[in-house]
Amino acid sequence: MKNKIKIQRAIKDITQAQLAEIIGVSRQTINAMEKGKYIPSTVLSLKIARYFETPLEEVFSLEDED
Amino acid sequence: MNQNFLFPHSYKRPALIVLIICILFSIYLSVFGSEPDFLNFNIGEKMRGDELKVITRNFAFTIDGILLIISSIVYGFSKEKVEDEYIQKIRLESLVWAVYINYALVIITFLILYDISFLYVMVYNLFTVLIIFNIKFYISKTKLNKSLSDEE
Repeated sequence: MKNKIKIQRAIKDITQAQLAEIIGVSRQTINAMEKGKYIPSTVLSLKIARYFETPLEEVFSLEDED
Repeated sequence: MNQNFLFPHSYKRPALIVLIICILFSIYLSVFGSEPDFLNFNIGEKMRGDELKVITRNFAFTIDGILLIISSIVYGFSKEKVEDEYIQKIRLESLVWAVYINYALVIITFLILYDISFLYVMVYNLFTVLIIFNIKFYISKTKLNKSLSDEE
């Protein structure tokens, strides 16, 4: 699964730390997700999409191998 | 919603202090083999012939072992400052890794050590899975923080 958290973050103009604070996770988690090292749970994905005020599919999408 | 069986974050530091003291005390016990006298306790009496004998046991290993187990469990299983699903994944991975390594070591020692030497291994094995888990979990967290500071 790939994500556009970094792009969405740039649109909103917030840092990893600020997003982490809002979503209630650590900065390490946001960083790991942006790097594609960690696939978030459904709850966390929905929280992120809700904060960016976009549909879930705008932020997260499946890759070919998924 | 998410139930986890973890201790509060505030327990982490005290547990670490107790853990370090216990490890140092264990090293002291196994290197010097002397048990401090103040930990001698009378645990009962028994008749030997006509004489009533007091049975004394030293509780150094008992106390050290119990505290070592409790402190390493509390240290490893207390919440992080920000406890989220990613850290839970890392904790679980560390635990899986620790069990594999621990039992790999047990199998190796099974094959190469016998009799009394193996008994020593079993004694250490009471604690190794927890110790390996804590070391692996700590390394993973440090790596994570390092990857973060590399970005800055």
